Amino acid sequence: MKSASLVVRDNAEPEDVALFSSFIASATFWLLLTTAVGLLLSFKFPYPDWATSPFLSFGRLRAIHTNGTFYGWASIALSGTAIYVAARTSGIGVSNKWLAWLSLACYNLAAICGTITLDLGINYGDQEYREWVWWVKVIFLLGVLLSGLTVVQTVANRVEREIYISNWYTIGGFVFTPILAIVAIIPAYQVGLGQVAVQGFFMHNAVGMWFTFLALGITYYALPKLLNRPIYSYALGVLGFWTNLVFYPVIGAHHFEFSPLPWWFQTLAIVFSVGMLVPVWAGTANFALTMRARGETVRRSYALPFIVVGVAYYFLGSTQGTVEAFRSLQTIWHFTSFTIGHSHATMYGFITFIAWGGIYALLPRATGKQPSLLATGLHFWFATIGVTAYVIALSIGGTIQGLTWAAGNPFIASVDAAAPFWVARAVAGSLMFLAHIIFAYNVYLMTLAPGRESDHWEPQKPERAATA
Amino acid sequence: MNRGMNNVWSLVLVSAIVYAALAILMGVVPGMVLSRTPPTVGLHPYSVQEQRGRDIYVSEGCEYCHTQNVRPLKQDEVFGRPSTAGDYAYDTPELLGDHRNGPDLTNIGGRQPSKIWQYIHLWEPRSVVHGSIMPRYTWLFAVKPKADLGDEVVPIPSGFGPAQGVVVTTTQSRDLVSYLESLKQVSLTKRTGK
Ligand code: HEM
Ligand code: HEM
Repeated sequence: MKSASLVVRDNAEPEDVALFSSFIASATFWLLLTTAVGLLLSFKFPYPDWATSPFLSFGRLRAIHTNGTFYGWASIALSGTAIYVAARTSGIGVSNKWLAWLSLACYNLAAICGTITLDLGINYGDQEYREWVWWVKVIFLLGVLLSGLTVVQTVANRVEREIYISNWYTIGGFVFTPILAIVAIIPAYQVGLGQVAVQGFFMHNAVGMWFTFLALGITYYALPKLLNRPIYSYALGVLGFWTNLVFYPVIGAHHFEFSPLPWWFQTLAIVFSVGMLVPVWAGTANFALTMRARGETVRRSYALPFIVVGVAYYFLGSTQGTVEAFRSLQTIWHFTSFTIGHSHATMYGFITFIAWGGIYALLPRATGKQPSLLATGLHFWFATIGVTAYVIALSIGGTIQGLTWAAGNPFIASVDAAAPFWVARAVAGSLMFLAHIIFAYNVYLMTLAPGRESDHWEPQKPERAATA
Repeated sequence: MNRGMNNVWSLVLVSAIVYAALAILMGVVPGMVLSRTPPTVGLHPYSVQEQRGRDIYVSEGCEYCHTQNVRPLKQDEVFGRPSTAGDYAYDTPELLGDHRNGPDLTNIGGRQPSKIWQYIHLWEPRSVVHGSIMPRYTWLFAVKPKADLGDEVVPIPSGFGPAQGVVVTTTQSRDLVSYLESLKQVSLTKRTGK
């Protein structure tokens, strides 16, 4: 990231620019709020007697952190970017903009109501990532449906002949998620152990069929666009789409290995967790080959370094997931902080970095306003070093925790053993949170800040369309 | 190359059908089948008070640090016998959990039968377990200048209590502790009727 990058402004309709900017501004707000909460949580490990009011207690704030980062930050950022990408690849403006505005309103309303109810201790039974009560989930579902409809209609009205591969993925995400939400909301088949089965299914489908599909879709657009070169292989992209769709829904039970869920059901999940290597490696290879021999371009870009890290964590985090799913390793790692490391390698290293890459790639082109070069560099390095330290600390700490149990020591010994690694996580988390503040400043520069349009513009040769 | 799907609505329809089928197969059907799991012989439904306590457990998010799932592994033997499907028949929402920042509680009523210990521990975990990272749940108690008739005073170890007055239980703490006391595994040998 040495010189101001050369950026050409999209000729997007002003209303589309306002729409995109509003999605990103909302998402940024939720990122700040809910990772401030995450940071507080991480300090509660060394200092459990801090902030002991019921409204700031660990059990309530943890769900606010996870649901807020999922449905406030990542969902809004990725939906807004997906809508903008749909318009760009279709060669037209966003169709039915009011649907998209309504969607944004639903997302925000759901996140507000969800955060407040969780803080009051009103939840859907500690079922991870679906703790919001049913009516909050319904508001969120409406947001997904409306964003999805916007994307589909925009793509349906396109002037290009083909549906660009990135839209396959984003449309996939918008189609699967409402189905998943309905399965998750209906209570009839969720009694006792039945709910455990549905919970396993839900947990990994939320990350795998929603965030993963949207993030991959955005990568498939941003990467060729930024490199000015077509995606390496369309076929690999299509292969990834179908294998992801067929394998991911089967792996849910790997969250409950050694539980009373039927043994063969767990085995099936483990087998398909290995199968997941196909879409993961196909996708990674496709991205890596698209980037081949373009190190200099990556270094000069605001956005590409984020995408490189995002793709790397997609590969590492998912491959880690496959390894983690084996029974022999689950005996040690399950229930430990190792899992928390995996969650952040994927939801942070992969999803959040791709969201940032997409934003830095597209928002300046939309508004014509550049972020600060220095701030972007600091954001990148703080976040990258932060999350890497976070994941390494918890991978080691979690392993030690699991080995302490296996050695038959008293439980508290595992707490003592993990304690220094939890402190390291809090330090890493502070760096990450700092990065988010800098990112928020950049979002301000790219949207509301006055008089940034003309400063940095340099003439540039016309781009080839990413769809070429 | 596979560029056939150029009508966006067929992409929507095909992927929706494939995914809906998988969701029914991998989510709904297992849910339906397992929801009918009969209770382990000898397992009782929760009493009204225990159920209220369970609601507090859920509401305060205890599950984020405590599992209720004893695995058939050596390191889990300290927590009780391996959990079986029927153990969860009355557990909706389920509380198996995914994280053991704290110990498993499947059999805590059997492992820690003292109510007084539970109250003290909820008031300030570090007063009984040095090095515990569990939050304190002081809002489940009341602090009074002096105990009234019928109050249950909690004997907080010195240095951990309020500056003045006494700590007494409330309906909430009594409910929660009655739930914790109810967490006792039923023996599986009973099943044979011997
Ligand atoms: C400043 C940055 C962040 C910090 C310090 C942080 C810290 C934490 C902490 C302390 C926990 C609880 C761990 C436990 O229960 O043992 C947690 C859980 C979690 N966080 Fe974060 N977090 C951050 C950012 C994020 C972001 C941006 C996302 C998602 C986009 C995220 C997703 C999650 C998830 C999914 C969990 C639950 C993990 C699991 O149950 O396995 N976090 N985080
Ligand atoms: C090949 C792909 C993947 C496989 C095989 C895999 C495997 C696993 C396994 C086995 C666990 C359970 C760990 C345990 O409870 O001990 C897990 C948890 C988790 N995974 Fe993945 N993973 C994959 C990709 C991803 C991706 C791409 C994301 C996010 C976008 C993700 C997010 C999570 C989260 C948030 C959890 C924590 C849930 C919890 O609290 O139990 N994973 N994964």
